[in-house]
Amino acid sequence: MLKALSVAAAVMTSVAALATPALSETLRVGMSGGYFPFTFTRNDTLQGFEVDFMNEIGARTDMDVEFVTMSFSGLIGALESDRIDTVANQITITPEREAKFLLTQPYVYDGAQVVTRQGNEGEVTGPESLKGKSVAVNLGSNYEQLLRELPYADEIDIRTYESNIEQDTALGRVDAFVMDRVSSAQVIAESPLPLVLAGEPFSEIQNALPFRQSDAELRDKVDAAITAMKEDGTLAAISEKWLKADVTQPLAE
Amino acid sequence: MRALDLDFMLGLVPILLGYLPLTLFMAGVGMVCALILGCVLAMERVARIPVLDQVVVLFISFFRGTPLLVQLFLFYYGLPQVMPFLTGMTGVQAAIIGLTLHFSAYMAESIRAAIIGVDRSQWEAAEAVGMTRGQMMGRIILPQAARVAAPTLVNYFIDMIKSTSLAFTLGVTEMMGATQKEAASSFLYFEAFIVVAIIYWAIVEALSFVQRRIEVSLNRAFTR
Repeated sequence: MLKALSVAAAVMTSVAALATPALSETLRVGMSGGYFPFTFTRNDTLQGFEVDFMNEIGARTDMDVEFVTMSFSGLIGALESDRIDTVANQITITPEREAKFLLTQPYVYDGAQVVTRQGNEGEVTGPESLKGKSVAVNLGSNYEQLLRELPYADEIDIRTYESNIEQDTALGRVDAFVMDRVSSAQVIAESPLPLVLAGEPFSEIQNALPFRQSDAELRDKVDAAITAMKEDGTLAAISEKWLKADVTQPLAE
Repeated sequence: MRALDLDFMLGLVPILLGYLPLTLFMAGVGMVCALILGCVLAMERVARIPVLDQVVVLFISFFRGTPLLVQLFLFYYGLPQVMPFLTGMTGVQAAIIGLTLHFSAYMAESIRAAIIGVDRSQWEAAEAVGMTRGQMMGRIILPQAARVAAPTLVNYFIDMIKSTSLAFTLGVTEMMGATQKEAASSFLYFEAFIVVAIIYWAIVEALSFVQRRIEVSLNRAFTR
């Protein structure tokens, strides 16, 4: 066993010496592992849209993808402090994030969606109806920001969570939650929770992969892989598999 | 009341047990380190070395006076901001350091009480036969203090095992973290959390059994 290991190590180092020195052999990808159907854990297996997407990028750029799971609100800090190299967790493009990080092109086009529990559709009909209501959002998400930027934000009881916003809405502890439309529809279709979409999506959002400012080369390499995946239909196929729809194209103007 | 998803619950048990070694590793390493540190702190509190004594009192006061969750966040999320070299610290390391410091403060107090509780005549007898201070502690005082402190120390160990569940807030996927993820993907919250509760309960019950055996063997010298 040890001998086999040392032989393997010798082979690896010689191969590595022959290959052109890569920017980073391993791509450390941060995600929450608790955001169905983009990144979630079932039977101890990390899976979802983001997992397939990143594995495909790893295969095309010849990098080993290493997934690092942590709470959503800690992901951006982990990227800044070099604990991970990028975040694949439906990171929405915002001016603040554009200023702080290098972003790839968008790979998911989506909308913000209000979701409420069954039987509450009369009360909650969309973002305007949230005045005087309690609304759950994930801590550190752009949906929290979206709500706080509404002109009537001070009339909404915004509650931030690390996880389980769907459960608290289903239990009636909050009137609604806000997250992306695609995931909302999948949660309603796949989970036993009594939830419904409330109104149309408001505010279009685009998701991209963020990189540190110093990793321009890495960002460009990954971005080129995304372009190729869009062109040959791989990205659309991943989208169909997890979301039963292609959300990787810009919405019709 | 909806019907429970028993298949999901049964399937969850082996998954969660796969994370048991990590839970026991964190608690085990934390316990050994906390015991050593706790003994050192306790002996210092008995000896009352000037200046050092004030530092130890402050240490114990802080780690008993603030919640463990606050301490964990302070080590893992807070300190690396002011000391960048700590960025390399993993969540598991931060959890072990936090558990060690937190519980050593508690243990120091109960070990100190046990040492002081050893009868004065024992100290005098040891001195009378010409033992050094080290011999006196190692051979006479600490063995007797151990008997008094043991039940409390095992209780702290039990508490420590349960406290490792807080490590999931540092991004460590241990038993609680794994449960939370499975619950979030299946939306079967009740099933997931009741299974993990039963697993923790079973571990603590097993330990309580060991605790009773330890107490019996430690007391053997004192039963006639």
